Amino acid sequence: MVAITDDTAAERAELPVMARWATAIRRNPTIAAGAVLLAVLVSLAILAPWLTVDPLKQATINRLRPPSERFWFGTDQFGRDIFARTLHGARVSLIVGLTVAAISGVIGLALGIVCGYFRRIDGIVMRIMDGIMAIPSILLAIALITLTRPGLAVVIIAIVIPEVPRVVRVVRSVVLSIRGQPYIDSAIAGGTRGFKLLARHVLPNTLAPLIVQATYICAAGMLIEAALSFLGAGVPPEIPSWGNIIAQGRNFFQIAPWTILIPGVFLALTVLAVNLMGDGLRDRLDPRLARRM
Amino acid sequence: MTAMNILEVRDLATHFFTLDGVVRAVDGVSFDLARGETLGIVGESGCGKSVTALSILRLIPPETSRIVGGSVRFDGRDLAALSEAEMRAIRGHRIAMIFQEPMTSLNPVLTIGTQIAENVVRHTGVPWRAALDRAREMLDLVKIADARRRIEEYPHQLSGGMRQRAMIAIALSCNPQVLIADEPTTALDVTIQAQILDLMLELKEKLGTAIIMITHDLGVIAETAERVVVMYAGRKVEEAPVEALFAQPTHPYTRGLMHAVPRLDADAEIAGRRPRLQEIPGIVPALNRPIAGCAFAPRCGFATERCRAEAPPLVSTSAGHAVACWETARVLEAA
Repeated sequence: MVAITDDTAAERAELPVMARWATAIRRNPTIAAGAVLLAVLVSLAILAPWLTVDPLKQATINRLRPPSERFWFGTDQFGRDIFARTLHGARVSLIVGLTVAAISGVIGLALGIVCGYFRRIDGIVMRIMDGIMAIPSILLAIALITLTRPGLAVVIIAIVIPEVPRVVRVVRSVVLSIRGQPYIDSAIAGGTRGFKLLARHVLPNTLAPLIVQATYICAAGMLIEAALSFLGAGVPPEIPSWGNIIAQGRNFFQIAPWTILIPGVFLALTVLAVNLMGDGLRDRLDPRLARRM
Repeated sequence: MTAMNILEVRDLATHFFTLDGVVRAVDGVSFDLARGETLGIVGESGCGKSVTALSILRLIPPETSRIVGGSVRFDGRDLAALSEAEMRAIRGHRIAMIFQEPMTSLNPVLTIGTQIAENVVRHTGVPWRAALDRAREMLDLVKIADARRRIEEYPHQLSGGMRQRAMIAIALSCNPQVLIADEPTTALDVTIQAQILDLMLELKEKLGTAIIMITHDLGVIAETAERVVVMYAGRKVEEAPVEALFAQPTHPYTRGLMHAVPRLDADAEIAGRRPRLQEIPGIVPALNRPIAGCAFAPRCGFATERCRAEAPPLVSTSAGHAVACWETARVLEAA
C-alpha cells in the first residue's frame, strides 16, 4: 500500500511545469476562465495611464463620436475618450471590490471567530449584526456623504458596513462546526492553550469558506459601487468610475449608446470573472457552502 | 504500593447538570494504574468510561458538568488542586490521550510533522528543528514508512490506520507516563485494529508508558489489558486480572457481556449446536435519578430484594479480583 502511494507521488512530482498547469486548468476550468478574464482586466486597469489618453481631457469638437480607429470606444458628450475613461473606471471598480472584500473579510473573520468561540458574547454581537444587516448600503452611503465629503473611502465604508454581518454569519457557523471537531478536543487534550487553539486550529479551517465568501463580496461591492455612483451617491463625478460614466451618458443613450454599453459590458465582465473564480473556488474548497446571491 | 502507582483514582464522581436533572455519569469509581501497566476499562456505551478518562484530564465541559467528588492522584500530585496552566502542562506531556476517530482527530490544514512537532515544542521548549527531528523519529517508531516525506503530508493523504498511528505518534512524542486510549481502534477495520493494538503494546514495552485502554470490545481487552475494570451505569462493578476475569467472570453483568460476544469456536460446533447469542435483558437505567441498590439489579437474574435496596460494596474474592455483588456465591454456583 505504501509502495503504491510512493509511485504516484513520484510520478506527480515529475510532471513538467507546463503539463501540471494544463492538468490544473483542465480540472478547474471555471477558476481558470475567471482568473484569465480577471488578469486581463487587472492588467488593463494597471496599464491604463500608458494605454490611453487623459480620461478627463475634454474636446467638445469630438463629442459623441461613435467608436472608430481614433476613439476605440467612442467619446461622450464632452468629447472625452470612453476607452480611457473605461480603463480608468476599471481601477475604481477593482479597488472598491478588493478593498471591500479585504476589509469586510478581516472584520468579519475577527467578529465571527469571537462569536463562534466565546458563546457569551455571541448573542449580543449577532443581534447587532442582524441590525446592521437591515441597513441598505445605498441609504447608508447617502447618509454618510451628507455627513462628510464624498470620496472613495466613504463609498468603501458604506459598502463594507452592511457586508460585514454576512461574513460574520458564515465564519461563525463554520467556527461552531469546527468547535465540535475531534481534532479540537484532541488539541485540548494535548495541552493547547486557548489563543493557540484559535490561531492554529480554528482560524486556518475557516479560511476556505471565507475566501469563497470574499469573492462574492468583491463582486457585490463592485456592483453596489456602480449603483451608488450612478445614483450620484458614490465617488465624486470627476472620477471616471463605471457608474459615473453610465450616469453621465444616460441622457444620450439613444444617440450614443456606446457611452453606456461599453462600461456596462466591462462591469458585467468583471463581476462575471470574480464570480467565476468564486464558484470555482467554492467547488474546489467547500462544495457545501451555499451561494449567497 | 503508592510509589508503584502512577495514577490513583479514588471515588471519582462526575455529574452532568442537565435540564432533566443531575446525570451521575461517573458515580464513585476507584482504580489504580501501576507504572507501565495496561488497564482495560470496559462497559457499554454510556456507562461512564469516557467521562472517567476526561475527568482524569479535567476535560469535561465546564458549562454542564463538574467533578463533584473523589480525587485523582498522578505521580503523587492531586490533579484537582492544580491550576489550569499546570494542568495544560500535564495534558499531552505526562498524560496523553488518543481518541476514537482517527479520520477527524488530526487538524486537516496542518501537516503531520507540524502537529507532532507542535506538541513537542509546547511541552519541552526545544527548537523547531529538533522537534521536527523528533517528529520523524516518532513516525519511524509508529512504523509509518518513509517518515521523511510523511511529515510533509496532510492528514487527508493518510489512510485511517496511518492516521491513528500518527495520533499515537503525537500522543507519545513527549514520552508520557500515562496514555489514555479511548476506543482507539473502534473506527478501524479488524486487520488494522490488530496492527494498531500490537503497535501500542510494543511501544508500551519500549517506552514504559502505562496505558488505560477504554473499550466496549472484550476482544481488545483480552488482547491488551493486564487488569480490567468493568463499569456499569457509572460504577465499577468488577475488577480483576485479565486471566481471572475471563476464566471466572463473577459479576452477573460481566457474565452477560461475555455471553453477548458471538463465538465461532470449535466447542460450540462439536456440541452440535451453536447457542443463540444471549443478550442482557432490559436497558441501562437512566442516570438522572438516584439508583438505590445495585444499578444492575433490574436486569439481573440473580437479583433479590436486598440488591434492589442496598448498593453492594466491592468485595475481594481472590487476589486482585473484586466484585460488587451481593449474590456472588449464587452466581458462581450457577456457572
